[in-house]
Amino acid sequence: MSFLLRRLSFYFTAFLIAISFNFLLPRMMPGDPVEAMFAAAQGKMDPAQMDAVREMYGFMDGSLFEQYISYIQSVFTLDLGPSVLMFPIDVTTVVGMSLPWTMFLALGSLIVALIIGVSIGTYASYRREGFFGQFVPPFLAFLSNFPYIVTALLLFYFFGLQLELLPLAYTYDPAIDPGFTLEFIGSVLKHAILPMGSMILVGIATWVFNMRNAMINVLGEDYVTMAEAKGLSSYRVMYRYAGRNAILPVATAIAMAIGFSFAGSIMTEVVFNYQGLGNILLKGIMARDYPLIQAILLILVSAVLTANFIADLLYVWLDPRISK
Amino acid sequence: MNKPLLEINNLCVDYVSPNGIARAVNNVSLSIKPGETLGIAGESGCGKSTLAFAIARLHRAPGLIPEGEILYNGKDVLKMSDKELRDFRWNDASVVFQSAMNSLNPVITIGEQLTDVILAHKKITVKAATEKAVELLAIVGLPGDRLKSFPHQLSGGMRQRVVIAIALALEPKLIIMDEPTTALDVVVEREILNELYDLKEKFGFSILFISHDLSLMGEIADRIGVMYAGNLIEIGDAKTVFTNPSHPYTKGLISSFPTIHGPKERLYGIPGDPVNLLHLPEGCNFNPRCGDCMDICKKDEPQLIELSVDYKAACYKL
Amino acid sequence: MNNSITSDANAPVPHHESEFRQKCRAAWMKTKAFFHGNPPAIIGGFLMTVILLGALFAPVLSTHNPDKRVARPHEAPSADHILGSTRNGRDVFSQVLQGARKTLSVALFAGIIATVIAVSVGVTSGYFGGKIDEWMNFATNVFLVFPQLPLLIVLAAFLGQVSSIVIAVLLGVTSWPWGARVIRSQTLAIRSKEFIISAEVMGESKVRIILVEILPNLISIVFGGFLGTVIYAMGAEAALGFLGLGDATEVSWGSMLYWAQVSSSLYTGAWWEMLVPAIALALTGGALALINMSIDQVSNPKLKTGPHLKLWKKLNKEANKRRGLV
Repeated sequence: MSFLLRRLSFYFTAFLIAISFNFLLPRMMPGDPVEAMFAAAQGKMDPAQMDAVREMYGFMDGSLFEQYISYIQSVFTLDLGPSVLMFPIDVTTVVGMSLPWTMFLALGSLIVALIIGVSIGTYASYRREGFFGQFVPPFLAFLSNFPYIVTALLLFYFFGLQLELLPLAYTYDPAIDPGFTLEFIGSVLKHAILPMGSMILVGIATWVFNMRNAMINVLGEDYVTMAEAKGLSSYRVMYRYAGRNAILPVATAIAMAIGFSFAGSIMTEVVFNYQGLGNILLKGIMARDYPLIQAILLILVSAVLTANFIADLLYVWLDPRISK
Repeated sequence: MNKPLLEINNLCVDYVSPNGIARAVNNVSLSIKPGETLGIAGESGCGKSTLAFAIARLHRAPGLIPEGEILYNGKDVLKMSDKELRDFRWNDASVVFQSAMNSLNPVITIGEQLTDVILAHKKITVKAATEKAVELLAIVGLPGDRLKSFPHQLSGGMRQRVVIAIALALEPKLIIMDEPTTALDVVVEREILNELYDLKEKFGFSILFISHDLSLMGEIADRIGVMYAGNLIEIGDAKTVFTNPSHPYTKGLISSFPTIHGPKERLYGIPGDPVNLLHLPEGCNFNPRCGDCMDICKKDEPQLIELSVDYKAACYKL
Repeated sequence: MNNSITSDANAPVPHHESEFRQKCRAAWMKTKAFFHGNPPAIIGGFLMTVILLGALFAPVLSTHNPDKRVARPHEAPSADHILGSTRNGRDVFSQVLQGARKTLSVALFAGIIATVIAVSVGVTSGYFGGKIDEWMNFATNVFLVFPQLPLLIVLAAFLGQVSSIVIAVLLGVTSWPWGARVIRSQTLAIRSKEFIISAEVMGESKVRIILVEILPNLISIVFGGFLGTVIYAMGAEAALGFLGLGDATEVSWGSMLYWAQVSSSLYTGAWWEMLVPAIALALTGGALALINMSIDQVSNPKLKTGPHLKLWKKLNKEANKRRGLV
């Protein structure tokens, strides 16, 4: 239990650091980004509204410390003011609309890549001397280390443009009403294949190698030899005795991969014009919509921290030795 | 009861390494009778553990057995199909590994590690298997509620008892023990060995006992074999090997252990280092370290010769 | 380094050779052993050599000035323009060579910065332990849980169109934690080895112990981490460039992607403008990964696959055949 508490307090501290960074960012920049932002918003906002944003944003009169406290308050009350880009909609609303899609892409592809990668890695360690073990891991290492953006562009070109197999934009067909219908879910899945596929392709080698290397280490352990000596089926020896332990170092790598996956989602969304945070982020940057940019950064940090905590829970569940 | 339970003929085990092929076990022949305890002694790297593993065909890449046969009740283990091999393992021969800490999976409960072997070999319900597991724990003196524990929740001695309970689960005829008590302190070691002997009385299995500790072996084994650089260099009844060894290496090995009961004597080690299996000397493997080395020892490898009934050694001095 | 792999280097060497020649010979033997029976290392090494030579001799190999309009917009590949031209009439072949210099130097520079930080933090943290370790480990973990690329995007956005040097520095100072973590745990492992303890007992200075006893044992891990960072930095540079956050007037593979995107080259059928830099990035990333994978086998000999396993397979098959097993 104390392990999880320690992790929680760590994540809370990390979150505070992220907020502080967010607070300092516009204040450290050369020139006055706030002025630039308001210049971009000319004609959309009247002066009274601008003042309101200014205040909510912490740019009020007073010492830096007072501004800081006020900023933290607005973060924890989720009161981040209106977006400049989509005025007068609240930043929180804009982010709330696109966050689920990014979560879907980032976590969905991570889980699929994890499952496929771990299976391939296990099999590659089992067939180490064979064709599979010798050929497949290097092949995947090669393929998986194309930059995110390149894999996305290549899939976009070949499967979307050339073969015209799959849709090239949006999260679902705009002609279909969102709802819990087969048609809608089908459309969502169809639109997710290419972006998710490219992210899975990039993510998969990490798991293949993590799992294969962990398996090779574990296969040398006495308890695996003993399981074999017990006359258990090779399936049981591989998965229950060796795999169960080899998955532990893999689980620790999940924490790191979560951040990568969200980053990958940001890039992939832009290529496939997928309506998630990445797309909004880029639009926000073009429009110099700083409240929106900062809110996205904060929400990404929170999502990654939360996902990390879930990974910790998973680890505690997997390793009985940790939960003391 | 003259037919041996296990008969090993001309067994060789090789390791293929990037620098060449190392022969870890060379042309070893020996047999174990029902109910007998055979000890195999030698320094680390002499091939004794490799021999033990080979009997249950547990060698893995890059190890392989190019020659020899391992006959269990007349059937060659090396020729068994996968299914026959799975049946042979644990039903006929179980293994107790060097360190109980490492031979129990740290993330699986004691209960599962005990019952899965029963369920894999016998057509009984999970409930019956659990009852059997409780019974087995009782035999080695542990309470049944330990089934729910993970290995890290037990002490070293308790873990070794669990390992022995697992080894007894299917009441095999042969238990291979690879340095079973090395990791334990002397008091616990003594306790466990005594229990083991009571169990042997009760169940009547044979033991192949691998250890570097000759004095321990002198007490518990019926016969002792000594290995050096992959070769079996001396084998015979425990008393003779221990009190009146023939091979210079065995002599050296025995004089490097203190005796508790006898008079205080000077301890002698064996000069030199263990040989590199990739660069074996010409002739007798022991010749670079032997005090009595003769010309022939540097040319030809000595063969085991029968010195008396059931007593053999391989040395030109004899 | 590991004995089983470098053992050829221990082969007897004639006495009259100078120490320098002996060292060269040992290095050559090591290199040979690294590539021997290791197709991924050979393929990766070959590709990387071609790419590096292309970048190095870009001014010689270029057929046109990469910064000048030398063709009509979106000319298809031809004898005159081997890889076609861009929307703005630039020669794609010359640009991809020129871009290699920029992209690779950004990635290498970022890799060097990150590696220096990672080694300093990792070794200090692992060797000294205690409070220093606690704080450094905390900092490493905080950096690890932050999504790096979005952070970079935001930073680049606030800074406005940033030059490649700034991008390299930003990438360098944000991507060290992965390396630091691995180096720290390896240092911890080495620290408790006997040769370090004996050096401490003999009163060697801490600096000397770190430089002479610990660092040489970390070489393969440090180099592996360096290559990993280079791959990551290259991808990030391409991403920032593609999003238009870099300096679009510089020719790099990232900015080439940006211009190809702006001109909708894929939609208009001028695939070469987009695919050429994309494939250059892909091949470089893949090649580096293959080399990195082979380095992994040096630092962890258990992963080593090589000719001896093939021999084992053959002998084992023969032995099984003799016994009538399939």
